[in-house]
Parts: sequence; structure tokens; C-alpha cells
Amino acid sequence: MNVLTPRELPELFAALAAPGARVLAGGTDLLVRLRADLRQGRKVPSSLVRLDGLEELCGVAREPDGALRLGAATTHAGLLAHPLVRVELPVLAAALADLGSPPIRNMGTLGGNLCTASPAGDTLPPLMVLGASVELASAAGVRRMALADFITGPGRTRLAPGEIVTAVLAPSAREFAVRHFEKVGRRSALAVAVVSLAALLRLDARGKAVEARLAWGSVGPTVWRCPEAEAALLGQRPTLTALKRAAAVVRARVQPIDDLRASAAYRSEVAGNLLLRLAAL
Amino acid sequence: MKLSFILNGATVRLDAEPDRRAVDLLREELGALDVKEGCGTGECGACSVLVDGVQKLSCLMLAAQLEGRTVVTAAGLGTAEKPHPVQRAFAEHGAVQCGFCTPGMAVAAAGLLAENPAPAREDIRRAVSGNLCRCTGYVKIIDAVEAAARELAARKGKTEDAR
Amino acid sequence: MPKRHAPSLPPSPPRADALAKALGAERYAFDARPEGCLWAGAFRPGALFGPEGGMAHGRVRGVDTTAALAVPGVLRVLTAADVPGANLQGIVHKDQPVLCGEVLRHAGDPVALVLAESPEALRAGLAALRADIEPLPGVFDPEEALKKGAPQVHAGRKGGNLLLGAVIEKGDARAALKSVPVLVRGEFSTPVQEHAFLETPCGVAQLLPDGALQMTVSTQSPFRDRFEIGHALGLNPFKIRVRAPHLGGGFGGKDGATVQCLLGLAALKAGGRPVRMVWDREESILAGYKRHAVRLRYALGAERDGTLVALSCRVVFDTGAYAHLGSEVMELSMEHAAGPYRIPHVRVVGRCVYTNNPIAGAFRGFGVAQVSPAFESLMDELAEKLGLDPLALRRKNALRHGDENCSGVRLTGSAQLTDCLDAVAAHPLWTTREAWRAGAPAFTRRGVGLAAVFNGMGYGRGLADMAIAKLELTEAGGFLVYNGVPDMGQGNSSAFALLASQELNQPPSAIGLVQPDTEQCLPSGSSSAGRTTYTYGNALLKACAAMRVKLLSRAAMALFCDNLEGMELLPGMVRHRPTGKSLPLAAMAGFLSRDDRVCVAEALMPVAQNPPDTGKSFFIGFPHLLFAYAAHLARIEVDELTGRVRVCDYLAVTDGGRVLHRQGFDQQAQGGVAQGLGYALLEDFRLAEGRILTGDLSTYLIPTALDLPDIASEAVEGCEETGPHGLKGVGEVGLNGPAPAVGAALYEATGARLRDLPFTPERVLTALRKKPRRRRT
Repeated sequence: MNVLTPRELPELFAALAAPGARVLAGGTDLLVRLRADLRQGRKVPSSLVRLDGLEELCGVAREPDGALRLGAATTHAGLLAHPLVRVELPVLAAALADLGSPPIRNMGTLGGNLCTASPAGDTLPPLMVLGASVELASAAGVRRMALADFITGPGRTRLAPGEIVTAVLAPSAREFAVRHFEKVGRRSALAVAVVSLAALLRLDARGKAVEARLAWGSVGPTVWRCPEAEAALLGQRPTLTALKRAAAVVRARVQPIDDLRASAAYRSEVAGNLLLRLAAL
Repeated sequence: MKLSFILNGATVRLDAEPDRRAVDLLREELGALDVKEGCGTGECGACSVLVDGVQKLSCLMLAAQLEGRTVVTAAGLGTAEKPHPVQRAFAEHGAVQCGFCTPGMAVAAAGLLAENPAPAREDIRRAVSGNLCRCTGYVKIIDAVEAAARELAARKGKTEDAR
Repeated sequence: MPKRHAPSLPPSPPRADALAKALGAERYAFDARPEGCLWAGAFRPGALFGPEGGMAHGRVRGVDTTAALAVPGVLRVLTAADVPGANLQGIVHKDQPVLCGEVLRHAGDPVALVLAESPEALRAGLAALRADIEPLPGVFDPEEALKKGAPQVHAGRKGGNLLLGAVIEKGDARAALKSVPVLVRGEFSTPVQEHAFLETPCGVAQLLPDGALQMTVSTQSPFRDRFEIGHALGLNPFKIRVRAPHLGGGFGGKDGATVQCLLGLAALKAGGRPVRMVWDREESILAGYKRHAVRLRYALGAERDGTLVALSCRVVFDTGAYAHLGSEVMELSMEHAAGPYRIPHVRVVGRCVYTNNPIAGAFRGFGVAQVSPAFESLMDELAEKLGLDPLALRRKNALRHGDENCSGVRLTGSAQLTDCLDAVAAHPLWTTREAWRAGAPAFTRRGVGLAAVFNGMGYGRGLADMAIAKLELTEAGGFLVYNGVPDMGQGNSSAFALLASQELNQPPSAIGLVQPDTEQCLPSGSSSAGRTTYTYGNALLKACAAMRVKLLSRAAMALFCDNLEGMELLPGMVRHRPTGKSLPLAAMAGFLSRDDRVCVAEALMPVAQNPPDTGKSFFIGFPHLLFAYAAHLARIEVDELTGRVRVCDYLAVTDGGRVLHRQGFDQQAQGGVAQGLGYALLEDFRLAEGRILTGDLSTYLIPTALDLPDIASEAVEGCEETGPHGLKGVGEVGLNGPAPAVGAALYEATGARLRDLPFTPERVLTALRKKPRRRRT
């Protein structure tokens, strides 16, 4: 495999146009898969095109509309260390803090996490509740789409051939009084989520929810939303009683699968249970 | 490809396949046998090195990604005559058993102390949580990193007093 | 009566190997890379992914090597037909082919060995190999395997799938259990555990022009390896040289051949070039040995005052496709099945069974880790039933020096379990438990549990537990200890250096170590069984004493002194105190011949005299005489929403006789507990019809630094009079406590007794659902 390090986007797009070329972001997922492919004699890409030579893909900036622009090639650690991310996107920061391990966070990138599109991708539930969108670029131009539209299935996205994610646009969650993320893994570091929950609640002056956004990871092929449970919380204070009602809705509707890490039954139960944690915040 | 980077303070220039894994390049071409490999999939941290001061996994990096970088392995942290405070503390506080995870662990700890000279015990736990150790239960590793932080602080104090 | 509170030796200096390892300067077998070496790798078709699927039992119809041989850089592809000897390896039973030519008995069985010029060519060659294998019905459950008509793992074997059936019996447990006032029973299961040492099995080998085979390998048993390799490959074991540098972990998983026979075979066919073999992590999990999964059925009877009366236990061991150390591990299980307690009537029945699962073998806590969760769970249940304090119940029944243990052996060695329990009882983690439990935060339940455990030392009867120490005065006037027992990380070689430095009154810098090498060192058994420092240490003390006498007498001669009176061994010299005359050791070395500069001495671990008339079917190993003891305490939090368990505090109080090196002692305790906590909570080895589902470190999870508490280790200082300076081996006992201690804490937190390990969040949450209300404490 050749490894290319473009310094400009046009150079990148040219490199990606070659047959068998693949984008190499942080490599924490791709290189693991390529190792398995090599062990089993499967075909590997003809070239890997690095993103870390493009400064414009890295860093955090404020967009004119107030949203944060998170460069797709920014590492998880880079995002986590950024004050804007910590203050305005705490729900994302919490997910990043639990992602993989310190060296994985030093290497892996946000764009990589999105494009891997794993059902267990740690940044996906928080970005979903934040209403994030992605900016995509190719030789043909730049386009934006909601993250919810971008990811279409496990490992599947709307990325066109020759196209990359350049940035994630995440509106601030400042007006949400309740901001919560929890990942349940089988251990406390280097763990794949068994279930995760990102939650944002906007409360009125009396402490009642006027907006609820909930998103679960690892309970479906992609991030799972539950409008019925969100609706059940509206007009309620996030008390244990109210949360238990919403949790029952969740358990009735969620349709996870069994895998090595947990059974479907466990996931269903915990997907509901995690809501109760909001009562203890 | 022609590759040039700084390894443990010395500039190295060599011809390398760009897709050679960094761990193989370091060990097999450059003889940096202190860099270990325990899994090849980023799960154990034994292959940790500092790249421009940041802990990375050399099993998940390619040769091309080392170009122009500064790489420090455990052997580059200190020597027998002048060990890094982390290395000295590892030895004194019993943080070393089989020692196979130790170079990567020392790299992680040195990276932490460069960034956070006074870490709490919990910070240390987090900082080494990407480095698996099957021998120690981590207790003495964390003790050692605490001790190294104290030694570094004392040294710094001395330097400042001298001014 | 063993002495208590013998004076401790000076505070522990750092281990001799620690700084070099921290600097990255230590060289392991993994780092051996001779000039011009070839690479060898095994083809294990049972684990193929993709359309071929995998299989654990099949008839080998052929191996298609054409495509592999066409890969540039691939030199040879060897199959069973190329194996010159018996093509059978194994420690006690030789039943495991080096390369399978007829039958594949588990998913990791190899059918071919590829020799290539580079790792890349090797990988491509392995990927290009194809095997034609006719699937056979497999058997994956040991109890199914014992049924009539079950598929036979070793077709035509006398005894079928039953590797060994055994009984250990004392008194009349069956009768006694019928009449006891209080009875508790339970069925338990313990899972496979993977060693997950950081250094995967590896080594290099070369056939020398004179026909000798030399090998540097990550092994716990270099001397025995020669015989295993020799038998398998038809070589003279005395023309095989094995060197064992520091191991990157072993824990039992490198006791017996891993890469050795394959490497030896590769070297025979490499035209004299050196060959290197490194199993990657997946291969290590696939082909390496595991802790046996065990099913246990127990009944325990007592008087109303808590005096234990009778115990019955039946264990079924899944040894996987090959015997390896199955019978021997089961022996330890059965010998420890009744716990560290006095019980007059005991009957333990064991069956060790072949299946098409991965091969099980030695793992720290060797059979004992499997029984301790069961007997301790029943002790807790009994305490509750009788309304007794669980600690007091244990203390009341704890084995003491002079007691007869449950297999009928009189304990002539030190036995201070009661002191361990007393130390736990006095510890703040125990005395403050009520208040601590009551302070549980929201959605959290707290529990405190304890466990009393023990672990036999040494090989037991029938196999001499011997070590031969060799000590040399070097030409420079320093000393070299020729270590015969590999250092897999437990620090035995550093302990030997420390002992020599103390005995010879020399600074640590004057003592050098030669790591095991069958040519330079002397046979001293395997690095296992909590025996390394005990047995070799005893031999070394004798060698040091002989060296001291030798040096004093040679110096007396040179200094014209009439006798040894007043002669003293000082750092770097021998001095005649009355006259002040002295002779530097370097000078003395100059006039002694090499032979005269060497002292050799051996030591043998004592065995039980008049062994009990039971356990007759064990070929070796029954019974043990000396035991280490420990009392453990765990404080845990259970999350009600997820079932996740966090271990908040942990205390291990260990009786290891006299403590020679406190830091090394604590390392063993903490390391054992860490692996035990992994076994209790995290390590969930999963199989489907013999195929491993948790085949890498992203699916087989061992604890990270965030998964373990600060493990406190305390020593009950005693003295085992037969040990070097009173020491007992403590390498294994620490692993046996966590599962029962956490199990007891879980009961307190959830009200449910979990009897199947590991205690996964899912099992814990299920238990919580069944017991929704907090148990009154």
C-alpha cells in the first residue's frame, strides 16, 4: 500500500480518485481491520490517503450561527482539551472522555468515529442529541447534511466516492439544563459500549421539560431515538416517577440484538434504566 | 520512501516501505527492542511511544506517519546512569514484574507528567488505562508515578531556588 | 510449633531486574532476532473465518500447499508426514500432535507449518494454504462427553473421553451428611480463563552443524521441554539446549510446550538457519492453554454450633482436546475442595474429560481457584443459616498447625490462617463495614465479603520437587548465580541474587545472574506451583554455605592460618580478624581452578510421610504437605441500573511464612488478586461449538487500571521451618480469594448467591431483578 500525505484538499481529492484508494484518519479502526484482512489474505487498499497533513481539517472554531465547527481530523484528545467543547458540548466531552483509552484518544479522530459508523460509536449519540450536521467535501464541491441522515446503517454512510467529512457542526447545548451521557461497557477503559445514552433536557422556569432529546447507542443498527419517550417527559419534572414512565416506553420499543457483550434483554432493560440516572443528577 | 525523523534524540534517515507498521520499523529496522508488541490491535499499549510528546500506539501507525516527527521510546526517556524519574520510581516502588508492559507504561507515565506535573491518583489511573499489565494490579505502578511526580516537583523546586 | 514473628530481614532493596526492565533494556525471547533468520508459522484451519467457517473436530483429508509454496519467500510447507519423531507432545500424557495428520481435535490444532524468509511472506503463505477437512460431530460439554454414544475425541482410546476419574476420601461423608443437623448444598460453575500474558509465546531455534538443536524460548520449563521436544521430534533430549530469558509473563500458560516443538521442527528443516516463531495475540488465545472450566456439586454439613462435619463434592473438569496437565490440575482442585478447614468426613469425586474445546492446563491457582468460590459460598450460606458471623465461622474451623486436613494429611508445616482472619477482623475495612454500607449513594448497593483460601506448594508426592543451585566465584571476584527456574516476572531470580548477597555478605552489585540455560544451569524443575523461591532458594542457601566454607578455608591456607576460626567473608575479601590479614576475592579467584570456583547444591521439598490411603488414581501430585494461606476482604458497589460492579477496596492478608522481600511479597499478593478480580468479574471466555468467540483482547477483557482498586496487602509473619529463612511460596494463593470474596459481597448487596462465574453485569442485574429490595444488613 502506498501512503499519501496531501497538504491541500485538491491534492487529497486527486489521490482519492485513484482506484482502491482509502482515507486514513486516525487509523485506530482502519488499521485493525487491515491487519485482519492481511492475516486472512483478503484484498487491501492500493493506497491510503492521510488526512493529518491538512490543517484545515483540524481544530475547533465558532461558526457565524453560533454552532461549533469541529474539524473532522481533530483527535478525540484534541477536542476534549478544547475549552469550547468542554463548556458548550459537555455531553460530547463526556463521551470523548470515555472513548477507548488515552492513546486511542490521541490518535482517533471525530471524523473517523463518524465514518466508521459503528452502532457502538461513542460520539454518535451525543452528536445526535446536539442536532449536529456534517460538512462533506469532494472535488465536486461542499455539502452539508444532518448527522442523522449521514449515517444509514452499521458501517454505512452517505459518503460519496471521493468524498470526505471535513467538519462536524454542533450547536451549543447551553440552553439545556440537563446534559447527560453515560456509557455502559464491560470495563472502565478500552470498552465497547454495550448501551449508551445521551440526553438533553431543556427545562422551563418551573423545572419542567419543554424539550427532551434522547439518543441511545449499541441498541440498534445505528443510533436509536425514541420520540415516544421524549414526549413522555415533556411537561414533567425529571423525577424518578416521570423517568420510570419514560423508561417503560423505552423498554417496550427498543429492539436491540444479542451479541458477545450482552443479550438483547439486558440491553432493553438497561436502555430504560439509564434514563433513571437523570433523577440523581 | 525516504524517511527521516528523530528517534530518541538522534536523526534517523532510512528507506522504508510507507505502509510498514511503525512498531516493525522501530524494532526490526532500527533495533528499538524496548518497544514491545502485545496485541497488534491497539488494545494493550505495550507498543506505546511518544510522538511529538504524545502517547501513541506504534502498532497502529505506519512508517509514513513518522516522517518529520520526534519519537521517544522508553530507552529514550533515560539511561542506566540517568534514568527518567518515572523509570527510577518504577524500579524502587516495585512497579515492575515481568516488565513486558513496562516500557510502554513508562512512556505513558512520562507523557502524563510532561502534561500534568501534579496528577491525582485517579488521573494516573486514567492516564495508564490504555496500557494493560497482567502482573501488578497497577497499585505499585500508580505509587511509582506519584513518587516520580514528587521527585520532579522537588527537582523543579531546587532549580527555582537556585535562580 | 512454628515460630511466630521471627525478625524480618532488612527492608527490600529494588528487584535486581527492575531498572533494566523500566529502561527497556531487558531482552526477552520476543527480542531474539538472529541474523538471517527464517520465520515459522502454524496453519490452524479450524479457526478459519469466512465461508469455510471454523470447526473444532474433523478428519484431515489433505493440505493443499501449492498456492502457499508459490508465494515468493515461502521456503517450505511442512505437514505431519514431515515430523520425524512420535509427533506427540504432552507433559504427562503424550497425546497432542505437533502437526495433525489425521484428526483435528480443537479449533486451534495445526495441520501445517510454513517456513518463510520474512513475516510478510509467512503471512501470505499461511493465508494461501487450504486444508481439506471433513467435519466430524464434536463434543463440547464434558458431561455430554461421558454419555454413551458421545463423539470420541481420541477415537479408540481406552477409557473413551474420560481422561481420569479419581476419589479423595476421608471418613464416611455419605453417612455423615445424612445425619448432620445443618446442611447446605449448591451447584457451581467456573469458566475458562485465558492467561493473557503480555508476551505471547515465542522463540528462536537453530540446528547446529553438530546436530544439536538450540532454542531460546519464552518457557517456564526449559529442562523438561527438552524431553517433550525430544519425544515429539525423535531427538536426543540431551542434544537439545533450551535457554529461557526473562519471560513477559507466564502464569502457568508457558508450562509445557507452546512454540517449542513447532520451532524445533522448523529448525530441523531450515538448512541450519535460525528460525523465529512468534504467536500473535489471536494465535496465543486460539492455541494456548487455558484455565479449566469446572462444574462443581457440593454438600456441606455442620453441627448447630458451626463445627463442620462432612463435605461431599463432585467436580467435572473440561480438559479440552488434550490431556496436558488436566489430571494434575484436577488433583489440586480435589485436594483443596473442602477449603482450609477441619472436616472429619470428606468425599471428593472428580472426572477430567476430553472435549473438542481449547486445551486446558496450568494457570496460577492451579485447580484451587475453581473450588474456592464454591466452598466459600457454602461457608457463607452456612453462617447465615446458623446466624453466625461468617468470619467467626471460618476462624472456628480454620486449619491450624498439627491438624489433619481434608485429604488426611497431618499439617506439619506452618498454618496461620487464623492469624490472617484476625488481621482482617481488626482491619478498618472490616470494622467500619456497617457504616460504609449504609452510606451507599443513589442507585447503588454496597456489600462487603470475605474469603479464606489456601494453596498447596510444590509438586506433591510422586514427583521430586528438587532444585539444583550452582554458584560461581567469578574471575573478577564477584559471584554468579546460575538460576535453574525461569523468572516469568515473579522475581525469583532477583530473590536469588538477594539471598546470595546476604549469605555471602557481598553488595548486590557483586552478584550476577545467569538465567536458565540447560547447558550452563542445572535442572531445577519448572517455574510453577509456588515452588521457585522455596526449592531453589533452599538449594542456593546450601550452595552459599558451601561457598563460604570453601572461600574461608582456601583463604586460611593462603594466609597461613591454622584453622577457620577468626576467618570472615567480607565484601570483596576474606579477612582473618585476629591478624587483620586479608585476601581479595579477585586474587583468590586467580588461583582457584574453574571447577574449584563453583559450588553446587540441591534441595528437595519435603512430602507428607505416611500419605493417606486415598487418591490412588493420581499418577503424581497427591498429596501436598505445605500450604500458603490467606484471608481476603472485598468492598464492592453494585449499580442497580446496569448491574455493574465496582470493587472499591480490597485487602489481602497472606501467610507466606517469613517474608524475605516485602515488596516482592506484596507484588505477588496484588498481582494474584488482580487476576482473581478479572476472573470474578470481567473475563468471560466464550465458545460456540469449540470455536473461540473471544479471540482477541478487544473481546476477551482483562482489567485495566480503572477496573481495579488499590489492593492492600498485609503479611502475617510466621516461619515455615523447612523454607529458605522460613519462607513459603505465595505466588498462587492470592488468585483464589477474589471470586469468593466478591461473591460474598454481591450476596450482601443483592441478596442473591451467584454461583456461576464470572459475575457479569447481566447476571448481577438479573439477580437484582429477582431481589428488588435491599437485604436487611
